[in-house]
Amino acid sequence: MAGNKIKLQSNDGDTFDVDVEIAKQSATIKTMLEDLGMSEEDDVIPLPNVNSAILKKVIQWATHHKDDPPPPEDDENREKNLSDISSWDQDFLKVDQGTLFELILAANYLDIKGLLDVTCKTVANMIKGRTPEEIRRQFNIKNDFTPQEEEQIKKENEWCEEK
Amino acid sequence: MDNRQTLSMFAQGTNAHRSSRVSSTMTSMNDDHQDLEINGFNNFGQEDLHRQYRSSRLNSLRFLPDNILLAVFSYLTPLDLIHCTHVCHRWHQLVSHHSNLWQRLYLRPDSSNGNSGAVHVRRLDIFLHAIATRFNLSLLYIDLPIELITTEVLRELANRCPNLEYLTLDFSSAMQLHDFSDLNEFPCNLKRLCICLSEVIFLEGFMRRIYSFLSSLHTLHIVGTLEKSSLTSTTAPEETDNYETINISKIKANAPNLRIINLYGVAFVDDNHIEAIASGCIHLECLALNFCTKVIGTSFKNLMNRCRKLTCLLLQNTGIQDEPIMAVNWSTTQLTELDISSTDLNEQALLHFFSSVPNLTYLAVPYCDGFTDEVLDLLITRGVLNTCRALDFSNTVNLSLESVHRFLTSYTNISNRLEALSYTGNVGINEQFWTDAIRFLRRIKILIIGTAHSWFKQVTRRIHIDQILESCAVNCPHLRRLEIQWDPETLRLSENSSKFIDHLRIRCTHLTSFVLSDGPYYEGAKANFERAERHGVVRTITMYQTSIVGALNFYNELRFN
Repeated sequence: MAGNKIKLQSNDGDTFDVDVEIAKQSATIKTMLEDLGMSEEDDVIPLPNVNSAILKKVIQWATHHKDDPPPPEDDENREKNLSDISSWDQDFLKVDQGTLFELILAANYLDIKGLLDVTCKTVANMIKGRTPEEIRRQFNIKNDFTPQEEEQIKKENEWCEEK
Repeated sequence: MDNRQTLSMFAQGTNAHRSSRVSSTMTSMNDDHQDLEINGFNNFGQEDLHRQYRSSRLNSLRFLPDNILLAVFSYLTPLDLIHCTHVCHRWHQLVSHHSNLWQRLYLRPDSSNGNSGAVHVRRLDIFLHAIATRFNLSLLYIDLPIELITTEVLRELANRCPNLEYLTLDFSSAMQLHDFSDLNEFPCNLKRLCICLSEVIFLEGFMRRIYSFLSSLHTLHIVGTLEKSSLTSTTAPEETDNYETINISKIKANAPNLRIINLYGVAFVDDNHIEAIASGCIHLECLALNFCTKVIGTSFKNLMNRCRKLTCLLLQNTGIQDEPIMAVNWSTTQLTELDISSTDLNEQALLHFFSSVPNLTYLAVPYCDGFTDEVLDLLITRGVLNTCRALDFSNTVNLSLESVHRFLTSYTNISNRLEALSYTGNVGINEQFWTDAIRFLRRIKILIIGTAHSWFKQVTRRIHIDQILESCAVNCPHLRRLEIQWDPETLRLSENSSKFIDHLRIRCTHLTSFVLSDGPYYEGAKANFERAERHGVVRTITMYQTSIVGALNFYNELRFN
């Protein structure tokens, strides 16, 4: 366990030395190390779904949060709060949308719950309080409904919407 | 699930080349457009160009898998979700078919539980259909304004929504009740029920139909109609007009498992009602009687004797009197949380009371003239506060500054533990007091200091705000809510004030609410936080009031509206 470091390799070939404890915030890496008996020293862990720019960000996040208590178990029924993003995370996530989505995919793939939660919240905040048209513009989504379908959805929501 | 698959890929071989080949197509696409993406990103004028590149990138929203989009949607209110169904096919599918997104429904325009997202029902027939098709099994919470408290709606909820746990029935604006003679069905797995009373409408006709459905309840809120203004006005409140619009004894008799009862500002409630509760609810853990002015405490002896599990007693603005409080044997109770704000107990009664109470984790005594130095000394010497988490000493005219100072700086085993502290309304205080004390408030999450309207109370001293902020920044890493009440005439700033605000902002990363008196300092702090894109953190005391109630054990259960 010399130095307790492991090497992570991004899909574009860069390797990063990371403290094992920091890397283990990723449940994916943790499982690889523990269950699959990968040794820490000789092997490089390849992360085929993450490029080096994103991996760097993920490591930065994990390093900052290394002493955090483990995130609470997901309680399906708990009311979720959108506003409790720490200011460090807010600053950290001031990135373009593309990077944000790549971070989400990386957090999902690496199974880092805290990072996934906070990135999802950030996206939710971009949706909150917006009209459908504004949401489409925000995320560059194409309106793929036919007029008939739009009419149908309007009907579904008629109980609470005007006309 | 995706992760597992990738893992098994790893298990077959740690060959980096092989694994990365799978995603090589993805990366090359990224690379091709990287530069263009960066150039075009912040430029929404180039919408078309932008879309062209974006559509071929993997890091656009549409490449997020369903489970992630659902995680995003899970943070949204029904109103936002409804907007999402209009966005595109995929979103419509996802939002409509994942019923667990539709757990809470706020239908009263002015409620909405702190979230904006209240929905106004316009078409009752389609709403009934929506309960059946969209909300059904997923619905956990719903609040109904008077016009929706009807036999049909309740029947539909009873039949379609077996998982409904928390129901709010708001009768407060009722002019007359619907006819409930046909009401035979009512949600029967409720854990919490909140009833907002109307001043003049008797609810028995309705309640009679639902008593038999209440046996699963463990939290009951009854919200009265007492306006705060009637308490502060000097004229005697009219003795009449306190109709007993709901029968508390009958509810109690039908809900034997109640653990938490909150009667808030219910004008007719007196000790007879508390006696009734005492005789039936042996599982009671928390009783809140705030603003029930007719309660004087004669029932507490029986209450504490019978409800042995009672740990939390909230008596703000009740009419409790010395004699009945002194008649209770508090030493044998399990009491740990107590609020006697704005009550008239005198020093003798408090000394008697606190010489027998067990150790407290929460104590609120603002506006208690009987809370003197001697009472505080007694609490300290008996060790009553040794495990205390939350304290409110605000506006205690007979408690001296020196005593509080000594308490906070000498009994550091206590101050080091405090998570919430409120000490406002003392005009003699200076910044030194707080810079001394804050050093020991290492675990503080909620801190409320200063004196609002200090011009009125003739504060002559001016307060250097910078040092106080610096002290918080350095010593209080967990700070979430900070309220500083002094008005602009009292606060003294310097040209470096913004630097100290920076410091607080950067060091106290959990700070979500920073409440100040409106004025130049507030403006400066607000601008400072907004520049850092922390919107909505800095607020004025006219709009927001900070309180230590968040530290209560039963805080989540006690919240209503």
